[in-house]
Amino acid sequence: MTEKVGEHVMTMSTLETQVASQARPPDAWRHLSVSETSRVAVLIALLIAGQAITPSFLSLANIHVILLAVAAIGIMAYGMTLVVITGEIDLSIAGIAILSCIAGGLMIPTGSAALVIGTTLLTGLAIGLINGILVAALGIPSLITTLGMLGISRALANIFSGGQALYPEPIAAYLWLGRGDLVGIPLPVVLLVVLGAAAIALTKYSIFGRALYATGGNVKAAALSGINVVGVRAVVFAISGACAALAGMLESARLSYINPAGFEGMELSVLAVTVLGGASLSGGSGSITGTVVAALIIGIVNNLLNQLGVSIYLQQVVTAAVILAVVMPGMWQRGIAK
Amino acid sequence: MLKLSRRHLLKTAATLTVLAAAPLAIARAAAEESVHSVINALIKKYSDEARAGMSNGDVSALFEKDGFRDYLDAYPVGDLAGGFVWKPGMGASFVGPYSKLQIKSPFTDYLPLTEGPVLDHSKKYRIGLVFHGFNHPWLISLADTAAWEAARHPNIELEVIDAEFDDNKMGQVIDTWIAKQYDGIVLWPNREAPMGPPVDRAIAAGIPVVSLDRRTSSEQISSEVLGNFYANGLQQGLYLKHAAPEGNIIFNRKDLGSTADSIRTGAFLEAIGNTPGYKVLANYHTNSQRTLAFKSTADAMQAFHDISVSFNTGGEEAMGALDAIREANRLNSAPGGKKIMILANDDAREVLKEIRSGNIEMVSPYTPLIGDIGIRAVVMHIGAKAGLNEAPPKLIMTPNLPMITKEKMNIEGIETLTPDEWPYAYGPEVAG
Repeated sequence: MTEKVGEHVMTMSTLETQVASQARPPDAWRHLSVSETSRVAVLIALLIAGQAITPSFLSLANIHVILLAVAAIGIMAYGMTLVVITGEIDLSIAGIAILSCIAGGLMIPTGSAALVIGTTLLTGLAIGLINGILVAALGIPSLITTLGMLGISRALANIFSGGQALYPEPIAAYLWLGRGDLVGIPLPVVLLVVLGAAAIALTKYSIFGRALYATGGNVKAAALSGINVVGVRAVVFAISGACAALAGMLESARLSYINPAGFEGMELSVLAVTVLGGASLSGGSGSITGTVVAALIIGIVNNLLNQLGVSIYLQQVVTAAVILAVVMPGMWQRGIAK
Repeated sequence: MLKLSRRHLLKTAATLTVLAAAPLAIARAAAEESVHSVINALIKKYSDEARAGMSNGDVSALFEKDGFRDYLDAYPVGDLAGGFVWKPGMGASFVGPYSKLQIKSPFTDYLPLTEGPVLDHSKKYRIGLVFHGFNHPWLISLADTAAWEAARHPNIELEVIDAEFDDNKMGQVIDTWIAKQYDGIVLWPNREAPMGPPVDRAIAAGIPVVSLDRRTSSEQISSEVLGNFYANGLQQGLYLKHAAPEGNIIFNRKDLGSTADSIRTGAFLEAIGNTPGYKVLANYHTNSQRTLAFKSTADAMQAFHDISVSFNTGGEEAMGALDAIREANRLNSAPGGKKIMILANDDAREVLKEIRSGNIEMVSPYTPLIGDIGIRAVVMHIGAKAGLNEAPPKLIMTPNLPMITKEKMNIEGIETLTPDEWPYAYGPEVAG
């Protein structure tokens, strides 16, 4: 039996082998090991250096600060990682975060926490799903779709809010999401861990996870092997939208402030974390564990530089240098392998 | 580029301001009693002292490193146009056409225009207002006041465009208005340099142009309505000196090189530069972003356990700092178990709420409610062009406003106001 894929004619057995190899979780990919080793090495080096430079660096209080600082960006990066694994990109997350928070914030006068929180999350999910449908079903490139959605979301947030900030102070449950804790652990950190574990399970141990890598590795081969690539991509965009809404809500709750001009440039920070975590923009690779480590690296670098009083402008240089230092060995190895 | 030193402006203030509406002597006598002149005198005093030298090495080092002297010398300080004397309580109340919020605008009596048709009553005057930020509470309020003033005059047609922080777009908007032969243009420029050429093109086309708050690089511009950054930073310093003769300070500043940062921070450092008890612990540029101010302060709280003062160049920064200090449960962690003192600028309603609660110690108001002055100034320029009236001055100072504190105080001759005495706050009310 033969299948025609583009200009190539391949046997079913060849196709199955290709899909199977691309569906394998990334930690089995030997060519990524240098990158993963680099990330872990950098993380350990930062922890050691941090403790050597500032004695209270590894104190519980500072670990608490670092984890809280990375919680929102980490949760957004989970969604982005899933999208990037499928070979797509989501540049709309900052817009989704703010529009969702504004939509939820408009429910504050009702006094109903369920309505405020539910509207926020459902708005994120819905916008993400729209992205997914436009990309997967209508074939519009994700770069264009999500860039457009970023602009639309930000504009709608302004229109709906009249450009004014909203204050969720009367909704205690909303504030608890950003300021509360479970057995002493801040809720944003609990959510970061729980959602991270769920995302790891999804990508490593589920059929859906294999479908993600297969879709990103070779969408035509994946489709021919029976994977619903339209559904897979629509779902990851929906998940990314929900993650963006949740992250936006956590940040807004921490500050008790929903800012229609907020999260400026957040999409690029999240994309940087995702790439630093080992996801390839060409799709088919990436891992949630890598994203977690990358988020921690960025969080630790920023915390350390702030503690040392380094200016924000130099911090941007150092952060970019760290990203390059971690990503380049893997890139070189891939180049040599080719 | 317009290059006027503060000293030069002080010396020549009388020639830079229009005092035609009242006899000079009366105007000066009245001005001497106003908060504007009290603060200007203090600016001069502390500036002169700082120029002679700063005894505090920490403060002096930061002052020198960031080159504040150059910025401060170039920032105009002077008298108000027409001998105007501003007193708390003055101004008009209305609902903002854009924000839909209740507004009390403080300076509606400054360079006043009578309600009704202006200039040639048979003519329609088209005025363009271009600014950035229908997504920014401060800027919406600025547009609110401009639109309010325009609406009082039936023969003024105002077009308001948001350039969305895109200098090129702002330039294109101005060029379009030149092509359409508008009668006047008012703008809120984000940055100085890029807006100079479009303003010059408008002036060359015979269209009067007035800038609000920030400046352009145009030397030809008809008038500049200037803010009072100097008074802001000075009062933060005076409050600190009054409240605590010593303390360890962390700074949350706006973008390096921005006028708001240079003048406010510079004036603050001038005020405390000869008090030896202050130490600079950390200095962050959090660029008007609450989230960045939050993160920097949260990290600083881990690095330093003896922070006693959080200096913030804006209200956004102050709110971010307060949230971080609260999250760390460190409000009362200054040496001796004292409260960390938070100094702010920008009189948003949310900041005033925190002053009432005792969480933020003071705020220096920097009101966005100045758009109306811009409209009146440009109308006066249009009239002057037609020989109907005299032109307003090129530099239109806005009145210095007194700081707001929880309790009423007198600090070096400045009578502070309480939040309840301040009806001019902008932005939405905060419940809770």
